[in-house]
Amino acid sequence: MAFHKVLPAALAALFLYLSGASVHAQPAPCGLVISGTVTDEHDRTALSYAEVFLPELLKGAVTDELGRFRIEGLCPGTYVLRVSHLGCESIVRKVDLKQDLALDLRLEHHSQELRELEVIRDRPDENVGMALTEVTKADLEKRAGGGLVDMIEGIPGVSILRSGPTIAKPIIHGLSGNRVLTLNQGIRQEDQQWGTDHAPNLDPFSSDQVTVVKGAASVQYGADAMGGVVITEPIRLPREAGLGGEFRSVGMLNGRGGGVAGMLHGAVRGVKGLGWRVQGSGRQLGDSRAPDYLLSNTGLREAAGSASIGLQRYWGSASVYYSWFGREMGVLRAAHIGNLTDLDNAINSGIPWYTAPFGYAIAPPRQVAQHHLLKSEVAYRISERDQLVLTYGFQNDDRQEYDVRRGGRSGIPSLDLFLNTHTADAVLKHWIGPHVHGKVGVNGLYQENSNIPGTGIRPLIPDYSKRTGGVFILEHVPFGDRVELEAGARLEGTALSVRRFDSEDVYTTPEHRFLNHALSIGANWTVRDSIGIRANISSAFRPPHVSELYSQGLHHGSAAIEEGDDALDSERSLKATVDLHASWFGGRLTTDITLFHDRISDFIYLRPTGLRLTIRGAFPVFTYVATDVRMHGLDASAQLRFTERWAFRSQFSIVRSRDQLADEWLFLTPSDRLRNSIVFKAPALGQWRQVEAALSSSVVFAQSRFPVGLDFIDPPPTYHLLGCSISMERPLGHNALRFGITGDNLLDAAYRDYLDRFRYFADARGVDLALWVRYSFGHAR
Amino acid sequence: MKITVPDPKFIAAALLIVALGACKKEDDPAPTPPATNESELITTLVLTFTDPELNESFELRFRDLDGDGGNAPVVTTEPLPGGRAFNLGVRVLDESGSSPVELTNEILAEANEHQFFYAVEGADLAVSYADQDGNGRPLGLLNLAISGAASAGSLKVTLRHGPDKEAMGVSDGDITNAGGDTDIEVTFPLVLE
Repeated sequence: MAFHKVLPAALAALFLYLSGASVHAQPAPCGLVISGTVTDEHDRTALSYAEVFLPELLKGAVTDELGRFRIEGLCPGTYVLRVSHLGCESIVRKVDLKQDLALDLRLEHHSQELRELEVIRDRPDENVGMALTEVTKADLEKRAGGGLVDMIEGIPGVSILRSGPTIAKPIIHGLSGNRVLTLNQGIRQEDQQWGTDHAPNLDPFSSDQVTVVKGAASVQYGADAMGGVVITEPIRLPREAGLGGEFRSVGMLNGRGGGVAGMLHGAVRGVKGLGWRVQGSGRQLGDSRAPDYLLSNTGLREAAGSASIGLQRYWGSASVYYSWFGREMGVLRAAHIGNLTDLDNAINSGIPWYTAPFGYAIAPPRQVAQHHLLKSEVAYRISERDQLVLTYGFQNDDRQEYDVRRGGRSGIPSLDLFLNTHTADAVLKHWIGPHVHGKVGVNGLYQENSNIPGTGIRPLIPDYSKRTGGVFILEHVPFGDRVELEAGARLEGTALSVRRFDSEDVYTTPEHRFLNHALSIGANWTVRDSIGIRANISSAFRPPHVSELYSQGLHHGSAAIEEGDDALDSERSLKATVDLHASWFGGRLTTDITLFHDRISDFIYLRPTGLRLTIRGAFPVFTYVATDVRMHGLDASAQLRFTERWAFRSQFSIVRSRDQLADEWLFLTPSDRLRNSIVFKAPALGQWRQVEAALSSSVVFAQSRFPVGLDFIDPPPTYHLLGCSISMERPLGHNALRFGITGDNLLDAAYRDYLDRFRYFADARGVDLALWVRYSFGHAR
Repeated sequence: MKITVPDPKFIAAALLIVALGACKKEDDPAPTPPATNESELITTLVLTFTDPELNESFELRFRDLDGDGGNAPVVTTEPLPGGRAFNLGVRVLDESGSSPVELTNEILAEANEHQFFYAVEGADLAVSYADQDGNGRPLGLLNLAISGAASAGSLKVTLRHGPDKEAMGVSDGDITNAGGDTDIEVTFPLVLE
């Protein structure tokens, strides 16, 4: 397609045009500053956390503890300035900006009202001392069209475990699957995440902010949070009367598809603090394309919706949230193989053995999944400072996997799992004396997994019920203004009752009990305003999943027989992270370095233990075994601002992980990667606001540290990808239209990634271009 | 508009009851799930060499009654006389249950999507197709096998699901370009007398 060749040139031209525009079309300097203070009208005390906002530019700042604020990078002009604070009447003022401006703003402050409206933080509490990265709406938006996991790919230390173009799972500091916890709206996501080809069943449009915690966080969140936690932050419901919303749409070149999403939120007039929100989205893609061929049967269909309502008052708050997510997706046809000979053929031929003309149809092998989440939460203010938060969550996950089968059975699922999970938490957020504060809590989980009969295939994992109960305490102790210390502990017990048929069809009901504990200590130290250190040492645990205890049988995608070991015990890890954030030369250069070291005992993984002859030929047998693992690594990022508008960003991450018992490298460890970008940002450019453009280059190096003899082929070579993104916004009165273009693999490079389980069968996706639009309207806050 | 706030203690209590109610389920004894009836398992492959003139037949059999795991498969063979022309017939069975299930018909019903391949090594035996699918391409359930001089080697039988029968050489029994995924791959020791 000639289009693919023209594309990079066109993008470069657009890039140059934009940069040229910045030089010629803007004679007036756009480096003006509005700064000042916000104080209480009555007692003249400084108001911290007041929001100072320029609605036309969608630009603003929040006051610090001394009530100070500063908004930079403004062009001359007349703007509306809105100042608001919890419990205060908002004020709106017109400012005529010709030069830097200092303002002393006063708000009518009602302390009683403040208490009524001040609510518990919607998001989970910050993890003191842990390295974390927040992906904001603007960055999520650039990845619109992809799944949730694609949206966090740019974070240093995060990589992706793929099974072809559609299935992706996050890897944090080298760990994935059951070793990464996903919190959806504050509830731990339970969606058969043990499977390497089971993508999280989450609506990528349902959250405006995703936080990735890169540390062992078992004290706070319980089992599985070993490598880190992916948190889709709950969205704050509006509190002030009004109606607002947004409509988003995205089109994608590769796969010739796209998605739409809509959101409406508001607050009920006359009922103080009662807000609501409804949201829905849909996404469809056809077969993806690698540079030299189509990746047949990699289409995708998704639909999702959610609704929430919440009341926020002085006594506390109450909210109910419900979401539904449905997905059907194809699995690369050429990755479905029968035995080792087929795998050898696939590897030797270098191209997929099956390709068909482009289409949207999804044929076996395919996966169908649905996920429901119901969450209700009540926070009750026991005293002026202390709160009791009760949360209940119900999840239902329904998954069918269809294989290519004989005798017209392709319409019968090969795997049909039904998973119900109830979670209940009670947390007391309390203060001890004037400074020490923290929380104590109990968590309970009850889970029931059933195989729906009728598949005609022995289940990959058996039926089971799981009960988990935990208690934890986590206390913050500030030392002065600059040091914050946090220490915590958790005790958690898990009971697993399995119902299964062994290979002789004898029914057995084995029981397992696991008792685990975790400790954590962390500190945030603000050395100077420009230098901050976060350090944390914490332990984490993970009881073995039922798949590791009782798997039996042939795994089609990998041409291997996998067998569990019911004697396995819990994995335990001790992870230390140090994060150093600093800014230099008045903020022109910012650097962030995270170092980690992780020791995991009884680390469970699959190891080849022999060959077995079947009617399909000989298969390698992989057994789940436990070993001790040591991992360490580094994430580094830096940003250098040359001018007001131009910046250079660079990030680099490495992970090393070693199997201590076998004395060899660990399988599927992310290789070193380097990403450099040139970023252009302008608050205003003619009629456009918040103009952003970036050109980035990513190098993923070949993995040279891998265990010998564990894989069928050596890791693929180093590859280089070029990407770009451009976005800008057009204010339309109170509303705004934002749109952007995101390009991936612009040079249409043919490559295979070590972390893609389908690297034996086909190349990864070729050039992709996504065009997205968001229209925001109304003014609910 | 005056709104009465529900007593927060009441809400807290209600939520706790809901949570406890959810936990109460644990006490119910879980029902015994039905054992899975493997519907697609192939346990047995039988090759029958029949000499129509002398009305004599010889059998090669691969049998793995408990499927992929458990006990090792049992292979039984007998020597074939040299210098003969045989009709080579294939049967595929599931013998894991109490009565054997004939699966050959399933393959016949999906003849367009299946093909057997025969690879002889060492021994002096030539196998050629004697049947056709709906498109006039070979299937390989019925074949012609001509034995030569006394020799010993092996015979590898492969059943492919979804091969590209139009690819070069595939209709002549060459598996190289066939593609598809393998349902059966069995190697018999072969002795010609």
